[in-house]
Amino acid sequence: MFGVLFEQTADGQRYIDWLLAGLGWTLALAFFGWWIAFAVGVIVGIGRTVQNRLVTALARLYVEIFRNIPVLVQMFLWYFVLPEILPSRLGDAIKQIPPPWGSFFPALVCLGLYTAARIAEQVRAGIEALPKGQTEAANALGLSPLLTYRHVIVPQALRLIVPSLTSEVMGIYKNTSVALTIGLMELTAQARQISEATFQTFTAFGAATLIYLVLALIAYQSMMLIDKAVRIPGSTPAKDAVEPILADDVQSGTALPHGMEVVK
Amino acid sequence: MRQEGAVNPSNHSSAIVVVENLVKRFGGFTALNDVHLTVAKGEKIVLCGPSGSGKSTLIRCINHIEKHDGGRIVVDGVELVNRMADINSVRCEVGMVFQSFNLFPHLSVVENCMLAPMKVRGLSRPEAHERAMGLLRKVRIHGQADKYPAQLSGGQQQRVAIARALCMQPKIMLFDEPTSALDPEMVKEVLDTMVQLAGEGMTMVCVTHEIGFAREVADRVVFMDQGSIVEEGEPASFFSSPRTERAKGFLNQIIH
Amino acid sequence: MNSLDFSVLLQAWPYLWSGLLFSLALTAAAFVIGMMLGTCFALVQHFEVPVVSQIVRSYIALVRSIPLILVLFWFFFLVPIVLGHLSGNGRPVPIGATWTAFITFGLFEAAYYSEIIRVGLRAVNKGQFEACQALALSTFDTYRCVILPQVIRVASPIILSQTIILFQDTSLVYVLSLTDLLGAASKLAQLNGRLVEMYLVVAVVYLAISSAASQCVASLRRRYALGGAHR
Repeated sequence: MFGVLFEQTADGQRYIDWLLAGLGWTLALAFFGWWIAFAVGVIVGIGRTVQNRLVTALARLYVEIFRNIPVLVQMFLWYFVLPEILPSRLGDAIKQIPPPWGSFFPALVCLGLYTAARIAEQVRAGIEALPKGQTEAANALGLSPLLTYRHVIVPQALRLIVPSLTSEVMGIYKNTSVALTIGLMELTAQARQISEATFQTFTAFGAATLIYLVLALIAYQSMMLIDKAVRIPGSTPAKDAVEPILADDVQSGTALPHGMEVVK
Repeated sequence: MRQEGAVNPSNHSSAIVVVENLVKRFGGFTALNDVHLTVAKGEKIVLCGPSGSGKSTLIRCINHIEKHDGGRIVVDGVELVNRMADINSVRCEVGMVFQSFNLFPHLSVVENCMLAPMKVRGLSRPEAHERAMGLLRKVRIHGQADKYPAQLSGGQQQRVAIARALCMQPKIMLFDEPTSALDPEMVKEVLDTMVQLAGEGMTMVCVTHEIGFAREVADRVVFMDQGSIVEEGEPASFFSSPRTERAKGFLNQIIH
Repeated sequence: MNSLDFSVLLQAWPYLWSGLLFSLALTAAAFVIGMMLGTCFALVQHFEVPVVSQIVRSYIALVRSIPLILVLFWFFFLVPIVLGHLSGNGRPVPIGATWTAFITFGLFEAAYYSEIIRVGLRAVNKGQFEACQALALSTFDTYRCVILPQVIRVASPIILSQTIILFQDTSLVYVLSLTDLLGAASKLAQLNGRLVEMYLVVAVVYLAISSAASQCVASLRRRYALGGAHR
C-alpha cells in the first residue's frame, strides 16, 4: 500500500524523500525547541519559588502569558506580528531570511518559549513537592540560597518531574506540526502535500502517522531510561505522569507551617 | 560577654549562646514569650515540655531557621539579625539534627557529609572526603558510606545526620527531637552516639523526652510550657522533685 | 513600522464575535462528547472488557501520539467515507468542515479525558468498593452513585485544565479554513490588511478567557483542598 511513496515526483525525487525531509524538520524543531524550553523552563520555574517578590511576579507573568495563548496564535505572533512591530530595519531584515529558515526560526522560538511555560509549572510543582526539611537542613549547614538550589533543591525537583516531563516531550514534538501554518514543510505538511499530489490520502497520512508513532515510542522509551538512570537508589519508582498531580490534589491543604507545633 | 538578664547563669565561665527576651509569633499564636537562656561552652542542656511549648521553636531560632520577632540571640559573639553573612557564619558554628533526619536523598551518605564542607568551608574534595569518612567512622556507619539514605534504617540515617552536622566542625550542636521519629529498637544507637559526643565535651542543646539520656548527660534540664521557661535545674532534682505543678503534671504523663 | 490602528476593530468586532462564539460552541460540544465517550473508554478499560478494552487502549495511544492537526486531516478525510459506509450506499457523505470539526474534537478529547478518569478510578480507595458491596449496591449503582462522582470530584481541576487546553486547541481548525476566532481574524486581516492588530486582539482575547478560567480552576482547587481535609 505504501508503493506510491517510491514513485517519482515532478521534481525528480520520490515521495518518500518528501516525507523524510519533513521528518528532518520535525526532529530539528522538536530537538532544539526542547533544549530552549528546558533551559528557560527551569529558570522560570525556579523564579516562581524564590523569596524575591519581583522575580516571582515576573516568572508568573511569563507562565500566564505563554500558557494562555494558543500555540497557533503564538506562532502567528512570532511570524507575522513580530517583524511588523520591531523597528522597520530589523523587521525587514527578519522578513529577508530565506524560506525554510524564515519559518523555522519563528517556529523554534515559539515552540521553545511556549513549552518552557509548561515546563516551568512542572519545575515549580517539583520544587514545592520537596519536604521543607530539605531547605532547612541545607540552611542549617550554612549553604547559601544559591547553593541550596544548585545542590539540594533543583537536582531533586528535576528527578521528581521526569515522568511528567515525558508528556512535555510528547507535547513539543506533536506541536511541531503547528509550524505548517507558517509554511514550514514538516512531516504533516509533507503528508498533506503528497496526499494532494497523488490522491493517495490513506497512504500519505498512514505513513506520517506511523512515523509519529515510532517517534512517540522512542521519546517515551528514552524518558523511561532517563527516569531509571537518575533514580535515587532505594527510592520507590515514580508512578505514571498524571498520578502525582492527582495525589497532590488530594493531599494539599492539610499542611501546617512546618515550624509550628500543633497545639492539641 | 554580658550575662545580664540570663536566668540562672551557669557555673561555666564563657557563654556561647545567649538568648534574651526572645519572642516568636506564628500569626496570632505566640510560640515563644520572653525567653531567656544562656548556654555555656561545653554545657549540655536538655529542653523538655509538652508539644506546643515552644522548645523546638527555640532551638530553630538559635539557628535562625525561624526568624524571631523580638529580643536578641547572640551565638559565639555574633548577634543574629537579618544579615545573611552573619546568619551563615553562625550556621557554620551551629550544627543541627532534625527529627526527620532531612538527609539529602539524591546524595550518597558520604556526599551528604561532604557537600557543606566543600561548598561553604571551601575544603577540597579529598579533604572533605577524609573528614567525612572520619566522622562516619565515629558514628560507626563508615561501612555504608556509598549507600543512599533511603537504603538505610532510620537509626542509621539519624547517625549520618549527626555526622553530617559534625563535618562542619560546629562549636555547638542542636538536636530537635532526634529520636522521636525512630522505631523503639533504633533509639539506643542514636542516643549512644549522642552520649559519646557529650563525653567529648561538645556543647549540646537537645530537645528530647528521653529521661535516661537527660539523667546521664545533661548539666541542666530546662522545662518549657506555653512558650515560656517554667523551671530549670539539675536533672536529678528536676526529675525526682519538680518544683512546679506544670512540670509535675508533664513528668507524670511521659513516665506513664 | 506602521503605527497601530485599533479603530478597525469597531468594524471587525461583529465578525470576530461570531468567530469566538464558534470557538466556544466547539469547545462545549467537544467537552460533552469527550467526557461521555471518555468515561465509557475509562470504564471499558477499568473492567477490562475483552477485545473492546484493547481496541480502546490502542485508539487512545494512537490519538495521544500524533499531532492534532494530523488527526484533523485524518477525520476530514475519513469521516465522510465512514458515514457513507454506515448509511449503506457506500458513497462518501459530505458533512462539511464544521461537523467534521465537532466530531474530531469530541473523539480526540475523549482520549485525553478517559486517561484522566482512568487514573482517577484507580485512585479511589478500595474501601469504597467494599462498603458498596456491604450495602448490596449493584455494580451499576456503585459506579453511578458512589465511584464516578468521587472520581469526577477529585479529577475536576485536571478535567477543567484539560478543557482550557481544549479551548486553545480549537484554534487549530484554522487549518480546515473554518471561521473560529482566529479564522475570523485571519480572514479579516486579509481583507483590511490590519494583520498586526487582528492577531494581537485574538491573542489578548484568548489570554483573557484562558487566564480567567485558569484562575477559576485554581480557586476551585483551593476550595476543594480545604473541603477535602475534613471529608
